[in-house]
Amino acid sequence: MLSVENIAVRYRGVTVLQDISLTLAAGRTLAVVGESGAGKSTLIGTILGLVRCSAGQVTWNKAPVRRCRPALVMQEPRSAFNPRVSLRRSVTEPLIAERRPVDENQMAALCRSLDIPTDLLERRPSAVSIGQAQRIGILRALIAAPPLVLFDEPLSALDAVTQKHTARMIADLQAKEGFAALIVTHDLGYAAAYADHIAVLRAGRIEELTTAQAFIDAPQTAYGRELRDAAFALGALERVA
Amino acid sequence: MTISISGLSVSRSGRTLLHPTTVNIEPGERVGLVGASGSGKSTLGHALVDALRRQGHSVAHVPQSPDEALDPLRSMGFHWAEAESALDLAPDVARQKALFEALRIDGGDLRKRPWGWSRGMQQRFVIAMGLIGTPDLLVMDEPTSALDPVVAARSMDLLDRYLADRQTALLLITHDLGLAARRMSRLMVMHEGRIVEDAPTAALLAAPGTAAAKALCLHRNWLALPC
Amino acid sequence: MIQLFLSLVLRAVVVLTGTALATFSLLWHAPGDPALAIALARFNAVVSTEVVDQIRVEAGLDAGFWTAFKAWILPLLSGDFGSSSVTGRAVWPDLVTAMSYTAPLALSGLLIGVAVSVPLAILAARRPGGWLDRSAVAVASLGAAIPTYWLGLLLILLFAVQLGWLPAMGARTPVHIILPALTLGLGVAASLTRILRSGILEARGQPFLPAIRRRGVASRAIERAHVAPHAAIPVVTVFGLELAFLLEGAVIIEVIFARPGLGTFLVTAIETRDFPKVQAVVILAALLFVTVNLVIDLIYRALDPRIGSHDA
Repeated sequence: MLSVENIAVRYRGVTVLQDISLTLAAGRTLAVVGESGAGKSTLIGTILGLVRCSAGQVTWNKAPVRRCRPALVMQEPRSAFNPRVSLRRSVTEPLIAERRPVDENQMAALCRSLDIPTDLLERRPSAVSIGQAQRIGILRALIAAPPLVLFDEPLSALDAVTQKHTARMIADLQAKEGFAALIVTHDLGYAAAYADHIAVLRAGRIEELTTAQAFIDAPQTAYGRELRDAAFALGALERVA
Repeated sequence: MTISISGLSVSRSGRTLLHPTTVNIEPGERVGLVGASGSGKSTLGHALVDALRRQGHSVAHVPQSPDEALDPLRSMGFHWAEAESALDLAPDVARQKALFEALRIDGGDLRKRPWGWSRGMQQRFVIAMGLIGTPDLLVMDEPTSALDPVVAARSMDLLDRYLADRQTALLLITHDLGLAARRMSRLMVMHEGRIVEDAPTAALLAAPGTAAAKALCLHRNWLALPC
Repeated sequence: MIQLFLSLVLRAVVVLTGTALATFSLLWHAPGDPALAIALARFNAVVSTEVVDQIRVEAGLDAGFWTAFKAWILPLLSGDFGSSSVTGRAVWPDLVTAMSYTAPLALSGLLIGVAVSVPLAILAARRPGGWLDRSAVAVASLGAAIPTYWLGLLLILLFAVQLGWLPAMGARTPVHIILPALTLGLGVAASLTRILRSGILEARGQPFLPAIRRRGVASRAIERAHVAPHAAIPVVTVFGLELAFLLEGAVIIEVIFARPGLGTFLVTAIETRDFPKVQAVVILAALLFVTVNLVIDLIYRALDPRIGSHDA
């Protein structure tokens, strides 16, 4: 279980995160929503152990979170890969880092789940579509079977139809592999459809943290209501009679 | 003025990006141009604006991100004056005030450069600039994808309110059928450089005819909630 | 703003002190006996050890490094550049005379450089990859690769020796400045053309230009109001380097063309280990650099206020 306890991040006298506490169990999904500059990326950084907390701690099953080797799926799929080497090489990097051999059966199974033809992996990042690149990014994140996967706006570079296909694949894989997923997104529709809980991050604090259903039904804060109403206004959520 | 253009096509280095296309838009109409990425939506948007300008129409185009609309080295006031003089209009304080109030950017400091304003205000400024010449058509290319949803929704609502009783038609280019269906009265579906479907929103959602439209309709919403 | 200005001034003071200390210590520790060099220069003959020792005391060379450094820098703080160890004459009037030859040379070199590079870069950037562009780039690269002294010799051979149109040596008449200024200016033009050309091309690729064009703004107005400022940024950036090139070039060119000026002044002073004279030139050059860079910094911030908006 991921446990974030009272963390704060201050940088050059500016408070970026304050009083952040949350937990996330294996197999569960937490969506973090909020405007740009709210501290979403910093939160991901602290969980990955890349940003030092000024206070509090982040643990996975009571051990420092780095030890569980959490994986990250980034927003811009193509720039997430080294442009000079084949995608296969990039994908297997997490295994090389842990000095583990590549399990070809597991790799093939993941490729099937993610609808990645294996010959695609021999190409360079520039020779695949954005949607394919993002699925390969997910493949790389899952190759070492991490218990915790962080997604930083995983769908916002994709078009609406591809977004929904990709979200479905992530959810199916999660059901199979059982990883905990923390998803940073600005798309409340996605959060409502796939997350168990939604956390609203604003100006470095968690304003609201509740189940997805409860949030969509009745946000508790003014900003939460604004977010939900915007999702309706933009058609990300829809009311039907 | 009704917009009517036919035989619009674009090809670049031997590849056809836009097959000959006809577009008709009535004054004040709200049209969504929807399709997957790479289907040629933006290409059509640009070609349409350029061709209509050549026909003598007044048209405006609002790019996806304010970064693609404003010079970071030039003040907001400079951009505004430049847009006015490009339309051969004399500076008009009353017109500017009315547009700024309608789009809620009257608090912005015109001496500042774009990055001195918030992204949402920058975008509304670009929209306001587009409305200076009371255009026949305003084309908005993915107006929501570079902004936070709350900010984007606000821009769209303010624009809707401003256009409500005016003759300016709106063409919204987006990959998101959910957005277009929610806000537009007519939809055009684009696929591989062609408009493959063109119908009133309700009709298209009820009975999409082509595979492309069916895929869009099937994946229109994340969730349909009972109200 | 005041804080920014103070930090820039502080930076200038650090640079000046560092330069002064570094050159003084280089001169001090250079091999050979400075007192002997001064004596040889002063009397132009072999001298006795007593005379050399006397000069050593006179020039303050017998004291330690720090005492000598202090003896030189303290009067300087009140504007006193001291007097030559060799001739005993005050340094400042001679320095002014030298500058009155070098400044017009550097300035006309700069003017020629700008006058050649701006139209050339604009022409070249009109059709990138076209024959005009490619030849402009080729000539500019060649020009940047040719050392100044060699270009100077070529020009002398052509215009003074072969054609006999222009005088090559000395500075008797205003016409004498043409060849050295041309040598200097062509070197400046070579580097400025390349920077300006790529600046213009990069500015033309700015993402907001299509939208401005679509707003109906004429392309001439776009070039003037949007492309030019963006193209100017890299030029302003390298201007400090250009200044270094100008000074260094002027010093070499003066020697080649046998012109009086800072170059000749400096070379003689170094040969005779004339501490006060060498130091005066160095301090002057450093001061010029610091001032120009300060001005560039301020222009830069006016041009693109995003720069420096984060360090407040």
